[in-house]
Amino acid sequence: MTPILQAAAAAVVALGTGATAVTVMTKDVPDFAVPDRQWQPGAELDGRAFRLSGAITETGADLPETVLSFVDGRFQSSRCQIYCEFGWNDYRTSRDGETIHFTSTTRCPDAPHTVVWYGIVEGDEMRVEGTWTTRRWYWTRQINLLAEGSPTSPKVEAISG
Amino acid sequence: MMQPARTASGPTPLSIALRIVALIAVVVVATWGAHLIRDALDLTIMPDNEQTVHRAIMLGALAYIGLLALPFVPGAEIGIAMLTAFGAAIAPLVYGATVLAMLLAYSVGCLLPITSLARLLAVLRMRRAADLVARAAPLSRDARLAMLLDGTPPRTVALALRHRYLALALAVNTPGNAVIGGGGGIMMMAGLSGVFAPWPTVLTIAVAVSPVPLAVMLLGA
Repeated sequence: MTPILQAAAAAVVALGTGATAVTVMTKDVPDFAVPDRQWQPGAELDGRAFRLSGAITETGADLPETVLSFVDGRFQSSRCQIYCEFGWNDYRTSRDGETIHFTSTTRCPDAPHTVVWYGIVEGDEMRVEGTWTTRRWYWTRQINLLAEGSPTSPKVEAISG
Repeated sequence: MMQPARTASGPTPLSIALRIVALIAVVVVATWGAHLIRDALDLTIMPDNEQTVHRAIMLGALAYIGLLALPFVPGAEIGIAMLTAFGAAIAPLVYGATVLAMLLAYSVGCLLPITSLARLLAVLRMRRAADLVARAAPLSRDARLAMLLDGTPPRTVALALRHRYLALALAVNTPGNAVIGGGGGIMMMAGLSGVFAPWPTVLTIAVAVSPVPLAVMLLGA
């Protein structure tokens, strides 16, 4: 075997050993478990928006200013848009009398971030929780949020993208 | 003046137990200290800083691999700093990077001609070792081992050669091994010597570098 082939074989073994070790040892963290309901493509919250007030569960820190907008069957978090341009995503709803449950799973197009939202809307008020999960090849990080929302104006100008 | 008689029977079970307790105490105190430092640094990873932290971790890991693979260059501190800052979550990456750095140094050693090792030892003023390597250079792997064992080394050297993978594992874990080349230097020499076969060496390193990351993972530092 030539020295170049030996070097290539050694590099493959070294990289494979390191990468396998990291992958095997890294534990995944599941996304937020959305309750099992009769979910339908969302439309019932179209034209509405909610300004959130809440906290990050892990740190207790206040949630930064965030507006959830629902337009034409699609959903957007203004904070996710700032952080990673998640764009507009489909949302699903499930009605329970006058109470509307909604959920949406959004992904950042440029980084391995997944955000799962689950909220309950009663009248003008919303209660929402969810997870922001980042799955890098060497670790998985997750933060949980819990917030309440009050009515505000939807950000309809951004939906053209 | 009469000197107190020394027993030749070695350490007693009590002294061994005390040493183990002391070792555990050191690990616990170190873990507690790591907690305090991490809390003081307040390195909370949030969506707004995750990308920056990711880039810093990748850069740190590359520097760690490169420095750790170089002989006589202390690099372990970067790994310890990463473990302290990010805790158990970063332990798999630090472990993988350590294995990679050790095998990188070993691979470089395998590819370097053994005459380079002799020259290197001569430059380091280790003349007897350089002569030994120069005599071993033209021999096959088995003949080299036989030559080393047939010489007149102390009993511990012969023992270390017979159990060379165990000796290698102990050497890379010995505190202060930077004076003999550090992990990178030891592995490079192991590769250069030609008496360490690749697969047992991979296995040895995979086990040998696991205690610290494993301890951090188990203790959840």
